[in-house]
Amino acid sequence: MTSAWLAFRTVQRYRARTALAAIGVAIIGALLFDMLLLSRGLVASFADLLDRSGYDIRVVNSEGVSVSRTPIPHASTVSAAIERLPEVASVARIRLEPATVAGGDGSDLDVTVIGSTRAGGRIAWTVVEGSDLPDGSASTEPCPVLVGRNLANALHLQPGATLQLRADVPGQQSALPPIPCRIAGIANSLFASANEFEVLTTMRGLREVRGGTDNDDADLVLVASAAAIDPAVTVRAIAALRPDLRVYSNDDVVDQFNRNGFAYFRQISVVLSSITVVFTFLLVATILTVSTNQRLGEIAALRALGIGRRRIAAMLLWESVLIVGLGGLAALPLGGLVAAGLDRILKQMPGVPSALHFFVFEPRALGLHALLLSATALVAALYPMWLTARLPIASTLRREVVG
Amino acid sequence: MTIATLRRTLLVLLISVLGAAATPIRAQPPGAQASPAPVLLSRQLAARAHVVVGDVVTLATDPTGAAGRSFRVVGIYEPTPDPMRFTAQRLEARLHLPDLIDLTADPRDAGSTDKVDSINVRLVNPMESDRFTAELRARMPGLDAGSTSRPRENDPFQVLDRFHLAISLVTVAGSTAFLLALMIIRAEERRETVGAMRLLGISRRSLLVEVAIEGLLVAAVGALFGALLAYGAESLVNRIFQSRYDTTLVFVRVTRSIALRSFLLAVPLGVAAGIAASWTLLRRTILSLVGR
Repeated sequence: MTSAWLAFRTVQRYRARTALAAIGVAIIGALLFDMLLLSRGLVASFADLLDRSGYDIRVVNSEGVSVSRTPIPHASTVSAAIERLPEVASVARIRLEPATVAGGDGSDLDVTVIGSTRAGGRIAWTVVEGSDLPDGSASTEPCPVLVGRNLANALHLQPGATLQLRADVPGQQSALPPIPCRIAGIANSLFASANEFEVLTTMRGLREVRGGTDNDDADLVLVASAAAIDPAVTVRAIAALRPDLRVYSNDDVVDQFNRNGFAYFRQISVVLSSITVVFTFLLVATILTVSTNQRLGEIAALRALGIGRRRIAAMLLWESVLIVGLGGLAALPLGGLVAAGLDRILKQMPGVPSALHFFVFEPRALGLHALLLSATALVAALYPMWLTARLPIASTLRREVVG
Repeated sequence: MTIATLRRTLLVLLISVLGAAATPIRAQPPGAQASPAPVLLSRQLAARAHVVVGDVVTLATDPTGAAGRSFRVVGIYEPTPDPMRFTAQRLEARLHLPDLIDLTADPRDAGSTDKVDSINVRLVNPMESDRFTAELRARMPGLDAGSTSRPRENDPFQVLDRFHLAISLVTVAGSTAFLLALMIIRAEERRETVGAMRLLGISRRSLLVEVAIEGLLVAAVGALFGALLAYGAESLVNRIFQSRYDTTLVFVRVTRSIALRSFLLAVPLGVAAGIAASWTLLRRTILSLVGR
């Protein structure tokens, strides 16, 4: 009889305790798995979002900090110069303006109006109803708009309807009149959050909303590198062309995000992963030790029958592997469910795009999960193994029988 | 309405200067200017720029230091911890508003000498903040006003609170399963003792009460130990995170209410696990308990 078979028989005999221990490992293992998914999830998801946007470089003004950055002046000239570079395939200018629309109950609803030189489909807006905005400056229509799904749902908007947009002018003591804009379509924006309302329009549309004033500013210039050109090469070319601007590749943005914005989640993931591993070790070790102490007579009898120390120790190791293995396997689907719930909670944070996920599956997380649980199973079995290895057969049998 | 504080940090100024690796704050020999205006520097900035109280420094909006002005450092301050910005380096300086305007105003824009980012208002009656903000918004379109005392909508810390609560519930569920497994092992261990006690005439009810009291004591001691462990780890965790982010922000605080909540959760769970595990034993017949 092999030690694995002996362990299997023991586990079968003590079904209730084995099942409960495996359930405990499954729940704690699920938390461990989730923390491993969290450890890189947000960064991986953010990088994926940036890559899906269709542009690999972002150009902003070097003046100001990220929260209050000054727009790029004379942006059309800047973008034209960048577009002429051989490393560049296409350029889009983006301008954001706060505005209000009349809500269903008559109150004002805050929206962000995004002016773009590109059609929605080219800046990661997916049209779900109606039609897209014209690309470039092809449109003669004064104010066509794509309405984000959140706003369309909140105000029951349909393509073809008119949206009255009124621009907010920060710091000014006057309110601009509302401008009627035709809703060309309803769209999902890749970067829209669940609690924000967004409207995409052309640069001309934005000018109309702002009361006809146009200062040719852009908050952001998006650049797509030409095929087979490394974004880092394009970054250097743009930086050489306009040293007064800040140029970031998607990798740079993700790197900054990883160092600053994501630090909290990375650290909580490390802390909780460590705690769950220690917790699993303590509990499996305790259960195995108590269980071994209870079966000392049985183990001494097995030894007396000629089963060697090594096989008994291996049996205990197998028991640990079975408990942790069963629990660890069950932890994967359970962890998936818990991760979905935790992801829903964290996505309620303001400003988090709906398409962004905090928990992202990566094969690396699965490998690490297996490795950590295997190590835990091994370490947890060490003390009971040592206990049985030095067990005196005769005195244990006499004590157990007489007792 | 009184203007209590007009605050504008020099983040734009300082970070752009520091980021450009130009001299952000240049210490000058004392006496370079007749009477430099006073400035307070954050501890982090003073350390980074190797500046001490009494030094005269140059602040400029331009990375090259052009059109800079001299200031005398009259104090180093610890920035108020801000959980929304705990990962940011607090490279900040505080000047008198006229000095700041003098430093940053655009001579081509007459209006730039009369601009502030925000105005803090202390109301005579704080209960009237809603009425006040509504009236202000109506009278001055384009201005945004809001109470500083009321929690904001979509507060990220409420979301984090819910996240931590969800994690705690998962942990409690896992611990309960382990506890139940341990109690079952323990109950099995005492099978013959329980059989003997039943033979002596002790009722199931008395044995269950005994198990419940034992569970209560074990759970209470466990919960107390857990609270003490958390209390002991509190300062260690805070020290690690405070050192990592160079802040005085408190990251972990074991309050009485948190300890009480853990206690109230752990004790009934411990008692229930003990009773559930023992019940599997007590429902058996006396003969099966003593192995007959």
